[in-house]
Formats: sequence, C-alpha cells, structure tokens
Amino acid sequence: MMTQNNHNLLGPALLTILLLLAPLVIPVYWVMLLSEILIMGLMAVSLNLLLGYTGLLSFGQGAFFGLGAYTAALMLQAGYENLFLILLAGMLVALLAALVVGFFSVRLDEIFFAMITLGFGMMFFSIAHNWLDVTGGSDGLPVFNLPSLNLFGFQLTFYTPINMYYLVFVVVLIAISLLWLIVHSPFGLILKSMRENKQRVSFIGGNVKTLRIAAFAISGAFTGLAGVLFCLFNNMATPEFMHWSFSSKPIIMSIIGGTGVFLGPLFGAGIFFILEQIIIQYTENWMLFLGIILIPIVLFFPQGVFGTLRNKFFKQGSK
Amino acid sequence: MSRDSVLRIENLGHSYGKFKVIEDISLTIGKGEMSALIGPNGAGKTTFYNAISGKFPPTKGKVFLNGEDITGLPSHRVVDKGMCRSFQITNIFTELTVAENVFSPLIIQQNKHFKLYGNVFNDQQITEKAMDTLEQVGLGGRTDQVVANLAYGDKRLVEMAIVLARDPSVVLLDEPTAGMNPEETENMINLIKKLAKNSGTTFFITEHDMKVVFSLAEKIYVLHQGHLLAQGSPEEIRANEQVQEAYLGRKVHA
Amino acid sequence: MEFLLLNILNGLSWGMLLFLIAIGLTTVFGVMGVLNFAHGSLFMLGAYLCMQSMKYFDSFWFGLLVGPLCVVVIGVLVEKYLLKRVYDRDVSYQLLLTFAILLVLDDGVRMIWGSGYHIVEPPAILNGIISIAGQDYPVYRLFLIIIGPIIGGLLWSFFHFTKWGKIIRAASFDNIMAEGVGINVPLIYTSVFALGTWLAALGGALAAPQQSLIPSMGEKIIIESFIVVVVGGLGSFPGAFAGALLLGLLESFGTVFAGRLQMAIPYILLAVVLLVKPNGLFKKGV
Repeated sequence: MMTQNNHNLLGPALLTILLLLAPLVIPVYWVMLLSEILIMGLMAVSLNLLLGYTGLLSFGQGAFFGLGAYTAALMLQAGYENLFLILLAGMLVALLAALVVGFFSVRLDEIFFAMITLGFGMMFFSIAHNWLDVTGGSDGLPVFNLPSLNLFGFQLTFYTPINMYYLVFVVVLIAISLLWLIVHSPFGLILKSMRENKQRVSFIGGNVKTLRIAAFAISGAFTGLAGVLFCLFNNMATPEFMHWSFSSKPIIMSIIGGTGVFLGPLFGAGIFFILEQIIIQYTENWMLFLGIILIPIVLFFPQGVFGTLRNKFFKQGSK
Repeated sequence: MSRDSVLRIENLGHSYGKFKVIEDISLTIGKGEMSALIGPNGAGKTTFYNAISGKFPPTKGKVFLNGEDITGLPSHRVVDKGMCRSFQITNIFTELTVAENVFSPLIIQQNKHFKLYGNVFNDQQITEKAMDTLEQVGLGGRTDQVVANLAYGDKRLVEMAIVLARDPSVVLLDEPTAGMNPEETENMINLIKKLAKNSGTTFFITEHDMKVVFSLAEKIYVLHQGHLLAQGSPEEIRANEQVQEAYLGRKVHA
Repeated sequence: MEFLLLNILNGLSWGMLLFLIAIGLTTVFGVMGVLNFAHGSLFMLGAYLCMQSMKYFDSFWFGLLVGPLCVVVIGVLVEKYLLKRVYDRDVSYQLLLTFAILLVLDDGVRMIWGSGYHIVEPPAILNGIISIAGQDYPVYRLFLIIIGPIIGGLLWSFFHFTKWGKIIRAASFDNIMAEGVGINVPLIYTSVFALGTWLAALGGALAAPQQSLIPSMGEKIIIESFIVVVVGGLGSFPGAFAGALLLGLLESFGTVFAGRLQMAIPYILLAVVLLVKPNGLFKKGV
C-alpha cells in the first residue's frame, strides 16, 4: 500500500534540544555566531523552497531580506516597539514585493529567471543605496532601540547576546516548522511536480504561473522575516543586504548543505560560518579558501555535503 | 451520429506566418467513441493536438468540448473542462514516486493546490482515488517506487494514470505505444480497450503503428498535408483509394 | 552639442570594452551552454597580468600581447579540469562552480598584488589629450573606440571565413550538434573557452590604462556583461555588439540625466528586455 517517506523527526528534535541548550555551554562569541547561522539558515531554507523544491534559481533574495531589515529599522526609528508587529510588517512588505517581482519573473526559466531576479534585486539595491532621506544611503540605517516583549508580566529585552539568541531561535524554529509544513503539504507536492515537469503540471490543470508566484511570495516573506531578525541582531539595515553578492550566499549555503534535503540549507549555513571562523584565524583570504572548498563540493557532492552523507548512512527515499 | 457529440472541431487551422500546418479541419467525436487520427510524419498531427489541447491557440477555427467553446483556452483550463492528454515523449514527474505522480492531478482537481498544510498521504479522498486509478492501469503494486527507476513501458503507464486520474471526458493519446516493444504494445492496446469499455471515456488517439490503429479504432481520421483527407470506419479507410495513395500504400501490412 | 558628443564618445569607449568581454561570454554560452561567472575575473586578470608583464619589459604593447596569453593558459586549465565536469549539470551548479572560480581568482589576485589600487600608464603615443569641439578629451579613449570595431571585425571575419570559425559558429549560433558532423567536441570546447578567455583578458589589458586596477574590478563588469548578453540575446554576436553599445551609451547619458537613479539603469534595461523580448533583441533564428 501507499506509504509516505518516513519523516524521521528524531534528528530535528535532537537538533532543537542542542540549539536550546547550546548557549549554556558555549562562549558568548559563538552564541552570536549561532544566531547569525540560524538567521542565514532561515534565509537559505526559504530560498530552497524555490531552488530545491520548485526548481527556480533566484538571485534576488537579498532584496526581500533587505526589505525586511529596512522595515524593521524604519519602524523602530519611528517609535514602534511591538515585536510581533515588526516581525509581521517585515514579512508583509517582503511578501508584497515578492508578489510583484514574482509576477514579472516567473514566466522565465533557468538562467533567464536567475538574471531577471538579479536585475530586480539590484534595482532595490540601487534604491536603498541612493534614497538617502529614507534609507540613509550607503551608510545604512542604524537601530538604537530594540523592541521588547511582555511575556506573562515579564518584560523581556534583547540587548544581551543570549536573549537575542533565544529570540532568533524561537522565531527561526517557528518559521522553519511552517516551511516544513508547506513543503509536505499538497501545495508542496505540486511545487515538486513543477520542478520535475512544469509542462505536465499545466496539462493536469495547474496554473504554473500562479503556483510559482505563490512559491516566490512565500519564500520572499520568510526571507523578509530573516531580514527583520538580522536587523535586530545586527542593529543595522544596510543596502549590502540587497546586493547580488549577498543574494548568492543562501545559494552557496543551500548547495553546500544539499538542496534535496529540507534542512540541508540550514546545515550549509552552519558549515559556511564555521569554516569562515576557522579560516579567518589563519588568513585574511577567506574567500580564496571558500572558493577552493566550494569547487570539490560542486564537483563531487551533487547532493550537498549533508545530502550525500545522509544518503550514504541512512538510505532514505527522495525528499 | 447517433451518440451525443463530446468533441466538435470546426474549420480548425494553424499557421506559422504564411505556412499553413493544418487547415480547415472539421470533425465530431461521439461520446464513448474510440477514434484515431493517422497520417504520415509531418501531416500535422501533433500541431492539431497542441492546438486543441491549449498548448497554443489555433489561428483559425473553433473547438467545442461538451458543447462548450474551449477555443484558445490555456492548457490548464482545457484540463479543467475535461480534456486531458498524453505526449509522444513521456511526460511525467520523474523523481517522484508513482503515487505522488497521480496525487498531483487529484490535488488540483479537488482544489487543494494552495493548501499549505496537511499531508496528502493522509487525505483519503486523494489516496483512494489514486489507488483506483493506479490499479486500473496495473500499477497498484508499485505505488512507492520512484518513477525514474521504472521500465519504459511502466513509465508510459504512469503517464496514462496521470491523464486518467481526473476522469476526463476526452482523453487524447499522442502515440501511446511509441517506443514500446511488441509485448508492451499489446498490453497497452488491451489496457486502452479495457478502459474504454469500463469507463466510457472517449479516446482520441494518434498513432503511426497501423496495427494498433486498426485493432483499436472505431473511426479513423486521415490527415494529409494539413488537410483532413478522409474519415470513416477502419474498413472504409482501408478501401479508400486516396488514402492508400497518400499513405497506406507504403505502410500498411496488417 | 559638445556635451552630447563627449557623452557619446564616453559611452562608445565603455561600450567597446563591454563588447570585448560580452562576445567571449556569449560565445562560450552559445557553444557550451555555460554562463561563466568567472568571466569578469579573467578580465581582471588580463589587466593585472598586463601590468605585471610590463614590469619585465617596459612596454604597454608587450603587456597587451603577453598578459592575455598568460590568462589563456589559466583559462584552458580551468576548462580542462573543472568546467568540463559540469556541462551536463543543472544551471545552478554551473553558476556556483564558476562563482567559486571567481572567488579563487579575485582573492588570489588580492593575495599577490594586494587590495590597493594600481595604475597602468598608457603608452606614450596614446597618453595625451586631444581637443574635440573645444573640449579636452583623452586620446586613449578614442583609441578604444577605434580598436573595438577592429577587433570585432576581425572576429566576425574569423567566424565567417575560416574553417574553425565556421565550426564554432555552427556549434554556437546555429545550435548544430557538432558531434553529428564529426567534429572533435572537447577540442572545440577548449578552443572556444580559450578564445573567450583571451577576449576577456584582452579587454582587461585594454582597460588597464583607463581605469585603476583593483581585484574586484571583474565583479562590476561581469554583471554588466551578463546584462549585455541577455539583452542582445544569449549566443548572438551582433546582439553582443548592439547590447554593449546600448548599455555603454545609456550609462554614459545616465550619469547626466538620471541622477541618483543612474545605478539602476542597467537593471531596468535588463528587466524590460527580458519582459518584452525574453530571448534578447537579436533573437537566434527559430
């Protein structure tokens, strides 16, 4: 009879517990690094909804990340301090922008899709870089006051790295769980079908364009959420978030980790940052070594490091 | 025609610039009828299929499905209206399992394609119908296999299941036995016969294997250089001199 | 009037450099189907190696000759040992592999020559200023405007009148499967990549006296070259020429008319062309 792939939840559960307890044992510097890994991991997992599941290579995710970050920074500057409101607003702005960009972009495929998303991303970058009055231009927008959270009468603030880490942890956990639900939903199966064969999807009655726009918008919204978190974490929104070179990071992370595994991109983000930390202790030329490491990964680990290892040790079905 | 017409095509034509690929094709297919469209390579069969199934709109003429004008609708709307097709080159979801391949059309049919939660495997409406369809085509025992690992003939069966899943009123099959060995071909013929008998679905087939055509079709349409050269029962087509001249003379050995 | 003329000249000289880079990029794409992210780094290497060769033999012309040839050696190694393995892979892997090569080349140059600016003097004969319509104008830029069409013309003749050129054109612009007509495909691929590399590096060497050398100079130009080849039509020779001139002129006039929005011009051009004519202005024959 029909059985679904076994969703082994043991690994994710262990990972959650580890991440929950990590700040108790690791130094503060690494707690901050872990926050950054989680934020970029969320960006990468969101990108992979497009890259790994829908088969669309977006080179403009930085725009949505940046929009989330700027939304947060502008709201904080204007005196809004409700954390939920800021998180939701960042997502919403990114969602709307992604709907517009998606509307124009999804009719293209492959390299053309990559190029047009790169183009749109860079338009946002140009705006952020030049609209001095609103975005602060190339200096970016600093954030001085962080929102706080009133939890059952306790006033939680996020000025310490540990508190910030737990904020990031909780938001990323919820966001990634939602994305997990989405990729395993009927919508998620249709996305995979489009990745495999978009012509067939349209010949079973699916409107490929609308479905792709939906995927693009969802991915954009979660990317915006990651941007809000990064703005809070970093106390800053800068145009660099929207540059194509920033947009390339979640792609690198996804491919390092493996686009065929749901959590692959998160692991990719971890590998990326940890490698960076190790390498910059020895040399300034971290990019050189990143390149040297990436080459064999692309050539010999077609399913990413995490994907290849998983397939080797736990013979599991397709995702 | 005693039976109700389900697919009616009026003066259909398609041209690229000045070059007319098909021209002035009119035909009416009755409910539950098994018809075949034949013609030498380049006669315009695939263009004809593409123009009526929404791959591109025809440049001339009208297409009616169950009395409703579907001319120029995009493919996904044509499917919604009840006409589904297969392709010469197998068109399936290669890296998904057999079951998942059939889930996709059902998800869309039941309007669950924007449902962002819940697992398809727990959705009885979908799984039961998928199982039914797969058993019909004889893939009931292989639901969990990834399609990429199946033999060629079985992949064609998966496409058949995808096409049939939504219970379309008209099924277009573009060379359903292309590339198959004699045994697979035989199985496919029997399967189509069985499906037509059991479900009352209207099949419209293109095929260049005459053996397949004559063992299946009740009515045959002959396309030659973009025009409908003849139509009739297999006996009539066999006896038609024009057809023999244009086409059968060289190929028929049945 | 003068102002118009100067902007046209500036646009043309920048456009000619873009053309040299884009033509290599588009030919490589046409033949191998790989959009090479590292193409801009080959341009940058061309500039640096031109500068380096000039140190041994104090002549710009020597640098212009030797520098790009050294880059070709690197290009051939890259094609033979790395690129070759991803021809049949997904486009994201191709982009990522060439992006990794970009990282290695850019940071490698930073390691060897430092991240600071370097200056290359134009050769004495071109190192002056000429008066055009009452305005001073650098002779070197005029040289670029002249040399661009010359190289373009030579390339065009190569593609149309030599056996090798015709084979490459058949494989690239006409999309003919070279295997079918008994051509040594790996050799074609390597030669085409070598040619593309040489053109990028030559562009870099020619750009050296006009702009300061920094390791990231390839990253700006690669994105603009992407835009040029997509706008012109991937794999199209006339498309690359027209796209390069169009972008060069738009950017030149953009600095005057578009003010702060100038930065967005290439991207707006890209998006508009992709939406209106997704195959580029000079679409390949069907």
